[in-house]
Amino acid sequence: MSPTPEGQLSQPIIQPRLSQEKIRQYRRGWMGVAAVPGSGKTWTLSLLAADLIKRGALAEDQEVLVVTLVNSAVDNFYSRVSSFIEAAGFLPHTGYRVRTLHGLAHDIVRERPDLAGLEQNFQIIDEREANAILKESVHAWLRSHPYDLEHYYLPDLDDNRREQLNREKLPDLVSDVALAIIRYAKDQQLTPDRLVERLETLRVPLPLLEMGSDIYSLYQRALLYRGAVDFDDLIRLALGNLQRDSSLLERLRYRWPYILEDEAQDSSRLQEEILSLLSGSSEPNGPPGNWVRVGDPNQAIYETFTTANPKYLRNFLNRKGVIKRSLPESGRSTASIIKLANYLAHWASQNHPLEIVRDALAPEPAILPTPPGDPQPNPPDDPKGIHLVLTKFTAEEEIKAVADSVARWLPKHPESTLAVLVLQNNRADRIAEELRRRGVEVVDSLLRSTQATRQASGALTHLLQFLSNPTSARYLAQAYRVWRREERREADEARARLERASELLRKCNRVEDFLWPGAEHDWLEQTGLAESDPAAYDQLIEFRRLARRWQTAVLLPVDQVLLTLAQDIFTQPSELALAHKLANLLRQASQGHPSWGLKDLTTELGVIARNERRFIGFSEDDQGFDPQQHKGKAIVATMHKAKGLEFDRVYLMSVNNYDFPSGEEYDAYYSEKWFIRDHLNLQAEALAQLQLLLEPARDEWYQEGLASRTDRFNLVRERLRLLYVGITRARRQLIITYNTGRRGEARPATPLVELYNYWERQQIGS
Amino acid sequence: MNVIQLRVEQLEVIHQPLNAHIFLEGPAGSGKTTAGVERLLYLMDQGIPGGEILVLTPQRTLAAPYEAALQVPGVVAGSMVTTATLGGLARRMVELFWPMISAQAGFAQPDEPPTFLTLETAQYYMAHLVRPLLDQGYFDSVAIERNRLYSQIIDNLNKAAVVGFPYTEIGERLQGAWQGEPAQLRVYEDAQACASLFRRYCLEHNLLDFSLQVEIFHHHLWPMAQCREHLLHSYQHLIVDNIEEDTPLTHDLLAEWLPSARSSLLIYDQEAGYRNFLGADALSGYKLKALCSQVYIFSENLISSPEVQRLTEHMQRIFSPGAALAIREQPGAKQISPALKPLSARFYPEMLDQVAAEIARLVQAEGVPPEEIVVLAPFLPDSLRFSLGYRLEQQGVPARSHRPSRPLRSEPVTHCLLSLARLAHPAWNLPITQYELAYALVQSIAGLDLVRAQILCESVFPKAWSGAAGLLSFAEISPEAQERITFRLGNRYERLRLWLAEYSQSPEEPFDHFLSRLFGEVLSQPGFGFHQYSITDDLQAGEITANLIESVQKFRWSAGEMLAQSGASLGREYVQMVQDGVIAAQYVRSWQAGQASAVLLAPAYTFLLNNRPVSYQFWLDVGSYAWAQRLYQPLTHPYVLSRNWQTGRVWNADDEFQAERETLQRLALGLLRRCRRGLFLGLSELGEQGFEQRGPLLAVFQRVLRQIAEEAREG
Repeated sequence: MSPTPEGQLSQPIIQPRLSQEKIRQYRRGWMGVAAVPGSGKTWTLSLLAADLIKRGALAEDQEVLVVTLVNSAVDNFYSRVSSFIEAAGFLPHTGYRVRTLHGLAHDIVRERPDLAGLEQNFQIIDEREANAILKESVHAWLRSHPYDLEHYYLPDLDDNRREQLNREKLPDLVSDVALAIIRYAKDQQLTPDRLVERLETLRVPLPLLEMGSDIYSLYQRALLYRGAVDFDDLIRLALGNLQRDSSLLERLRYRWPYILEDEAQDSSRLQEEILSLLSGSSEPNGPPGNWVRVGDPNQAIYETFTTANPKYLRNFLNRKGVIKRSLPESGRSTASIIKLANYLAHWASQNHPLEIVRDALAPEPAILPTPPGDPQPNPPDDPKGIHLVLTKFTAEEEIKAVADSVARWLPKHPESTLAVLVLQNNRADRIAEELRRRGVEVVDSLLRSTQATRQASGALTHLLQFLSNPTSARYLAQAYRVWRREERREADEARARLERASELLRKCNRVEDFLWPGAEHDWLEQTGLAESDPAAYDQLIEFRRLARRWQTAVLLPVDQVLLTLAQDIFTQPSELALAHKLANLLRQASQGHPSWGLKDLTTELGVIARNERRFIGFSEDDQGFDPQQHKGKAIVATMHKAKGLEFDRVYLMSVNNYDFPSGEEYDAYYSEKWFIRDHLNLQAEALAQLQLLLEPARDEWYQEGLASRTDRFNLVRERLRLLYVGITRARRQLIITYNTGRRGEARPATPLVELYNYWERQQIGS
Repeated sequence: MNVIQLRVEQLEVIHQPLNAHIFLEGPAGSGKTTAGVERLLYLMDQGIPGGEILVLTPQRTLAAPYEAALQVPGVVAGSMVTTATLGGLARRMVELFWPMISAQAGFAQPDEPPTFLTLETAQYYMAHLVRPLLDQGYFDSVAIERNRLYSQIIDNLNKAAVVGFPYTEIGERLQGAWQGEPAQLRVYEDAQACASLFRRYCLEHNLLDFSLQVEIFHHHLWPMAQCREHLLHSYQHLIVDNIEEDTPLTHDLLAEWLPSARSSLLIYDQEAGYRNFLGADALSGYKLKALCSQVYIFSENLISSPEVQRLTEHMQRIFSPGAALAIREQPGAKQISPALKPLSARFYPEMLDQVAAEIARLVQAEGVPPEEIVVLAPFLPDSLRFSLGYRLEQQGVPARSHRPSRPLRSEPVTHCLLSLARLAHPAWNLPITQYELAYALVQSIAGLDLVRAQILCESVFPKAWSGAAGLLSFAEISPEAQERITFRLGNRYERLRLWLAEYSQSPEEPFDHFLSRLFGEVLSQPGFGFHQYSITDDLQAGEITANLIESVQKFRWSAGEMLAQSGASLGREYVQMVQDGVIAAQYVRSWQAGQASAVLLAPAYTFLLNNRPVSYQFWLDVGSYAWAQRLYQPLTHPYVLSRNWQTGRVWNADDEFQAERETLQRLALGLLRRCRRGLFLGLSELGEQGFEQRGPLLAVFQRVLRQIAEEAREG
């Protein structure tokens, strides 16, 4: 076989191994595939898609629909399927379509936007804008209900403390709770009006839900005012359209006679419903349509406060009539790492101290190494490549220890890939900072916008800053540096000239005497540069021409300003494409905020540039991250973002009982805020209130605290799987560390201790 | 026009007797309009006075070939031929017979003269009436920008008028076809309530928007003997072109008019019907055929090369697979490939580069005149217009657009004038920012650059807002700043400041007068920016100012009285409406004249409706759904509000799909029939927003390209 591991496209196409061949033999009906990490499921699914096309199973106006989880996987699929079908003489990009769930929902809604009450070019706001709207709504609510939630505070807090919490902590907490309510309500296709109606029928007070419902109304109103929908709306509306218009459903069923779903373990209720509608039979009792779902239930890591759940895939796999297949072999890791991962699954399912979570990881199918002769052989075993470190580091010590280790190892292994994986973004920033301090080159594209995107938007931001501060010599010099930015990487002479010229500009006290000189005061002529450095002089003459052009263009609408700048400073197609997209984004921003001036819009662009906002650009990394492109560097990412990728050496950090709780008495949970009484997890409580509303026939009544407990179990389960995902990223070497947390009380996570003991036993045994 | 070039069948139509009723049909490019124009000249040549002839078209631009022929020296002798649209005719009749119908039509002040509303002023009134309702929760569940909401309610009224159903049925009709979210039903109720409110308000205040003009003509004037006599007597010969693009009401009137007319020529384009989103109805137009004694069908395309015709036929076959259309062997056309060239790129701007380079090659290497090239997209957003215009300019190719890349309200000149107006009217309490002042000064003062403008503003801008009177004088600022700004520019600033300050102390004048004075007394004078304006575009500042003044005038004529009664300032109201996007959203009018010898950038429909064939077409955004999809508007529906829709029937995806297929077919074939030599496709894997697009037009071309690939293999 040869599954080229996820993220790598360059390997040659080879014959599939037996388990993959069985999947390729698929003809029709519903099929479920349980795969293990590194088993080449994406590759196999691409092969199947190409095969369906080549077999002539489609009419000219039909397509194989491939649904995957994240944007970066979309291009991967396209390249693979294209390469398979082009080799057989087919036109690329025809006969199939690859979409994320959001992309698919967008396609469906676009078929009939009117049915969802939308205009032709309805706007989809991104996460940041959605957050901003939510924040506004939360503030509005808090202004009119300042003390409504105080009864959830610890009773012994004094007034000052309460005031302080109201100011500093409450808005974020309320945002989190409201967001959970909004998302869940949208998932249940419940509009604010209907939620209010139902609430009115209840006689008991449900304060969290009432608050969530108020904020939901405010939030939705703000969206409508902008003529926009958010990502959750898109999915809700897509399903709504399919349910309402049977002729639409029929058409789409015809158009997509085969549906191949990757990463099915992270499927949500709505995703399952949409796909099952699309793949269902047109006759009430007819045969099912053609739907292949591939996933690894052990790698479901997107479940917290979403409706995603691996149970959907598990149930599907066990459903009568579903063809069941598995992909158990993986050539990714050494035998030792495979052993460790398999043991984790085994232990969790048999001996986890919390019995109720023993369903978190399935021990079967266990990962098997590839058979002899397989084109993707496992790396030679190296038990010494595993380091489970139980040293009691503080948070800072852990970062320093890992950074030291990376800095020592990398120079000796310039051809290897290395990743440091953590749970939270801010932790990743800290380790990245520490690595840079040691002179290690860090790749953090997976955390936020890619570097290329940040650089391009950063360049434009600098130019806009220059335009909003036309009298500033500092911004003038900065603009010059942006224009000549290629030279910063070039040979010494060019770079030195750039530095000299920009230093000179920075000292130009009267910018007008350079840019728009009168007959007597041409600053440039007075510098004597024409004689001392004619090349720099010529550059400044050219720069002056451009800068004047830009200053003149400042009167145009902002998108046209940005396009003008981009035409002058960018040459790469991907940069120009990004500028075009940014221009549209800024135009939307300026339409949404008519009072904004250039300065505000510059700030907005700056936010993108400073990578606070993840923005999908057009560079290679945006289209799918390939660790092989970053050999000899330290890739810093979260464990979530590293899914689907593999690295020669992997560090997993902060594996303590705070980030990976196990239901032990001494475990703490970040969702249970310290200032909230009775260890309540308000998000979970709010959702429980909403669920109660949705299922009024249920005998159970709302019991405060119950949902908070249950939610702990869910977190324990998800973190077990996350640890499993982290371990299975490693090809050859794995290092796991923990730290004692902010208050110095945290312990190593129970599964880490268990793995440590297991590994000790193994070593002694061998 | 040279009669010798006409074909036999054209001559036959032209030379029909002077009392003939002729129905002429055929596809685009078959010489129908040419025959129509020649028929007009023939009638006059035979001694029929021009004043007895009415040329009726669905929109003004479609009368252009007739008007052009009449402008040839020596053609017109005696009275003038009338060219009109039904709306224009209705308005003229309302003006003429107002005293006779104003009371019976329900106007509250029948003895007062009527006020005709433009689309812009109608929107203003609509906004005025609907805005308070929005705060009461009207249109709560619909995602739509406010100014589009107003225009769609107006659109519904217009459709009711031209389709010929009572405007009180709008809501019911829309509700009957709805199958989506039940909340939308209330939205339709709201749309109906607002339409009714608007109509009542118009009747109370003698305001006539387009819909009311048409309805009064339909229900009160046409049935009135005097008016009908007047029309029938005045116009005894009718030439009606593009009847497929006209409205059912026009067709109804024609059906009653034709028997009384001495002669008529009705021209019908078989594959068109592009204006149905405006209420046009090809079906009701075609029924008029029965009233004509002579029927002619032109079938030959006189425009396209054999290769383009072959391409057209391939596309036709894809559109109508069941029709088993045989591909006619075009003499000399063995393959489609010479007529179709895809330009593919991964990114959108990359594709634009290729398009610009290819156009430059055609113009510079092959000597194709620029006006023989057109670049089309389903929409032409400002950013595309701007980007492509820039690239063509870089290539040295002259380009023009059917409009500039900015509406009047986004023109820098407009911003400048309105900022100065706010300075001159401190009582409006609409303060401007320091940036706005800087940008206004850069434009107002000749020779002032952005840097000096910024220094000036930092020095003179007041801490507390009090309009122009609060600005410091040049003499009051620091000597260093004075020196940096220069005294020459400082003096100009002073003149402008003094003028504004002086004005701000006197009583407020009508806003258009203010703008005229500001322009005439200051800005157009030597030393000021509008004297020789050349900042960013080839549009002259004077032209934009004139447009703005005209827009204000129309606003004053229609809304001035009401505002005066309520004590509100018209200028302030105008400025706010501009900020809200309700008015000044249209484009500078004189632009159309443009540069004749230039590549045209236009939305596909605009090009079609201008009906001017070219040698080469470039279609951009081929993957866009907009090639096939109608404009989705949550408050209105072109099909459901048409005459062919049975009230109560639900509009579903099959209807949508059918409508899309017809739209795409009409559009694609209509464009190809106006293409002489070749079609270039701008294909980018990722669209402007970075998303992959897979619209139905792309699918059609994929099939055509597959055929070409097969041809190549066989060849």
